[in-house]
Amino acid sequence: MSLKPRTVDFNATWTLLQETIHGVITLAHVPRPVWNDRFSDVYSLCVAHPEPMADRLYAETKLYLTNHVAKLLNEVLEGGDAHLVKNYFKYWTDYSIGARYLHSLYLYLNQQHIKTQKLSDAEIIYGGSDTAGEQMEIGELALEIWRSGMISPLGYKLVKLLLEAIDEDRLYHTTTLPIDAVKGTILSFVEVQTYKKKGQLQLYQELFEEPFLNSSGEHFKRDAARLLESKDVSLYMEKVIAKIDEELFRARKFLHPSSLPKITQRCETHMVAEHLLFLYSECKNMVQGERKQDLSNMYNLLKSVPNAMSVLVETVLDHIKSQGLVAVNNLQGESVHIHFVENLLEVYKKYRQLIQEVYKGDQNFMGALDKACSSVINYRPSDGRSPSRSPELLAKYCDTLLKKSTKGISESEVDEKLSQSIIIFKYIDDKDIFQKFYSRMLAKRLIHQQTQSMDAEEAMINRLKQACGYEFTNKLHRMFTDMSLSGDLNNRFSTFLKNDSIDLGITFNIHVLQAGAWPFGQSNVTSFALPQQLERSVQMFESFYHKRFNGRKLTWLHHLCQAELRLGYLKKPYLITMQTFQMAILLMFETTNSLTCGEIRDTLQLNNEQIQRYANSLVECKFLLADTEELSSNTSLRLNTEYSNKRTRFRITAAVQKETPQEVEHTMNSVEEDRKLYLQAAIVRIMKSRKVLKHNALIQEVCAQSKVSFAPSIPMIKKCIEALIDKQYIERTPHSSEEYSYVA
Amino acid sequence: MRIEEGKAVSPSKSPTMADGVERMDNESIKPEKMFTLKKWNAVAMWSWDVECDTCAICRVQVMDACLRCQAESKRDFYGKQDCVVVWGECNHSFHYCCMSLWVKQNNRCPLCQQEWSIQRMGK
Repeated sequence: MSLKPRTVDFNATWTLLQETIHGVITLAHVPRPVWNDRFSDVYSLCVAHPEPMADRLYAETKLYLTNHVAKLLNEVLEGGDAHLVKNYFKYWTDYSIGARYLHSLYLYLNQQHIKTQKLSDAEIIYGGSDTAGEQMEIGELALEIWRSGMISPLGYKLVKLLLEAIDEDRLYHTTTLPIDAVKGTILSFVEVQTYKKKGQLQLYQELFEEPFLNSSGEHFKRDAARLLESKDVSLYMEKVIAKIDEELFRARKFLHPSSLPKITQRCETHMVAEHLLFLYSECKNMVQGERKQDLSNMYNLLKSVPNAMSVLVETVLDHIKSQGLVAVNNLQGESVHIHFVENLLEVYKKYRQLIQEVYKGDQNFMGALDKACSSVINYRPSDGRSPSRSPELLAKYCDTLLKKSTKGISESEVDEKLSQSIIIFKYIDDKDIFQKFYSRMLAKRLIHQQTQSMDAEEAMINRLKQACGYEFTNKLHRMFTDMSLSGDLNNRFSTFLKNDSIDLGITFNIHVLQAGAWPFGQSNVTSFALPQQLERSVQMFESFYHKRFNGRKLTWLHHLCQAELRLGYLKKPYLITMQTFQMAILLMFETTNSLTCGEIRDTLQLNNEQIQRYANSLVECKFLLADTEELSSNTSLRLNTEYSNKRTRFRITAAVQKETPQEVEHTMNSVEEDRKLYLQAAIVRIMKSRKVLKHNALIQEVCAQSKVSFAPSIPMIKKCIEALIDKQYIERTPHSSEEYSYVA
Repeated sequence: MRIEEGKAVSPSKSPTMADGVERMDNESIKPEKMFTLKKWNAVAMWSWDVECDTCAICRVQVMDACLRCQAESKRDFYGKQDCVVVWGECNHSFHYCCMSLWVKQNNRCPLCQQEWSIQRMGK
């Protein structure tokens, strides 16, 4: 057959073609040679001589399809309402497949004649030009004719039947109509427009989805009202979650996937968002009862409603907070610090896990946990007037772990506990107070050789450094350095003694500390008349030290020195480790049997408070006997020559080493002073760089700078500003009292 | 120490035995004493022997490293005590680091304006 354009008899060819079209569109048998001939006929008509007859062919085809669909519509209607959906689906299935074949048969027309006059994608998307009256590809044409000829007249009726079918499914979980017919019919609204470049879902959405969502909404409202009658929140939530799942399942069964989120959202709106108060009513009880399943349900339901979670978050926060306070309130006894930290950690871990489990680690809830922990840990008793004890207790806890006395705990356990304590540390506002206590305790551990392991000490300092930075642990590090320097110094000193063949008569060991790094002020240094036994050691060491170093002065911290004294006057000899002052008191009894406190005080040049404390400790240990209950200057002390103890070697330093309430208070006061200086320095730094700054902005910056180590109170910052104005570092600007400027 | 204890026990029970032995070493004298000091763990604190404990140049305590050194030693694990003190003939003292920068501009003591000459260095 020639491809050359030739004269064609349209009518004859069309008659043949029409027959085949009928066969194709009704999916009847069309033999291959016939198909091939008709395919060529389409070609011949399109390229016919002298005039191509493509337009005529298109018009005839359109007319044919319109008539065909009209015929099908009649047939569908004749079947009656009961079979409407079924029939529609049957004819649609055939028609849509037939239309695809027809499209292939008209390939030449589609490709050569219609495509060329089509708008480009860009024109469709951006142009928005009128497409009516334009020729469509045959497959598209067939679908469009179906839409106008079938769906337009029938759509409303169909949708009504479809909705009835879905309602039926909701009620009885089964439909009288076949599921595939329902689904196929619904999807036909989408398929009939798939050829469109945009708005493919428009018909589906307008014709079906909207009425469907509305009727579903009504259904959900009724359902919610029914479920609410039981007044049981947890039951209600279970039912709602089941309902949502069920609706999703149904939507997958019948609908286009694009409707899935919409139906869930409808369901949540009517069943959750509209009944929030009802849900909240049980919220507190659930949280307090820690009903995990209920809470998890509640979380899942509220998650989808914007801003609905905050009530639950608040309730959880309050609950954790009150649990935390219960865990640490009214702690009594010796080991308050251990219970404090470990109870808190327990609460922390418990709720952390709960949040992971129930709320899937949601940030809102983690934030609530943080807030709750922070407010428990920084809780100030008696309406915020007394300071929080957490920094002190935590420092004590670390001290207990790092001290030698810790028995029955392995090194790795200690390590684990210490790293856990950092969790608490991070929540502490007053980190500077913690640092003060920690450094005092560390100093005592180091000097009295009570440190369990230097590795553990160092690891802990590094943890603090990680959490708070170099500034924070600088002094702690320097204390460490002094320890190793002192070891070196002791070696050199003994070499020095050996070289000069000097015998001190005692084993002498010394720690030389760097002033400033250690938490011992010069204020603790009091006068003390050195016992003659020590004089030589002190002299020798000082001369050694001054030879070795230049420009340094040494201050002996006798209240920190310890001596080992051998008691030879009892049935057994005892070797007792004690403080220097205790030793000095005992040594005085070498030559006499009885002394008054006043005499001891005057000889040793100690003050009354010291005599009270150290003499009392010796009385308590039964080395000395006092003739009055309370020690006064006139109390006479005698040596207890009947003293006996099962152990012959022990220390009696513990009683004196204990942190006294005055010491704690002293620590707190010194923190207060440090803070003032810190704040003033911060204000000057900020003002120096900003020159002029508004009051509020200054307060803000100061708070931001000091956050690492403590949370300053606003009145305190104000006081510091006043102090700096008095000292003429800054001044109020002339135009506003709320603004400061830096005075260079 | 245990052995020592053992030795000490027998003489203390019968002091006369010790008198009989004519040894001059410490062991024999000890039992006569009621108290014997065996060991002393002393603690002392050192500081620079200065009149004013802040450096007038950097306004930092002389016991601490000067500002410059503090900034540099931030990475240093143990803040080393390289930042020593220097005394002039006028007896005024400063961080050595601070003073060596100062004299490059002005060879006078910042406090008393006397010609600067080093009297001693801290070590």
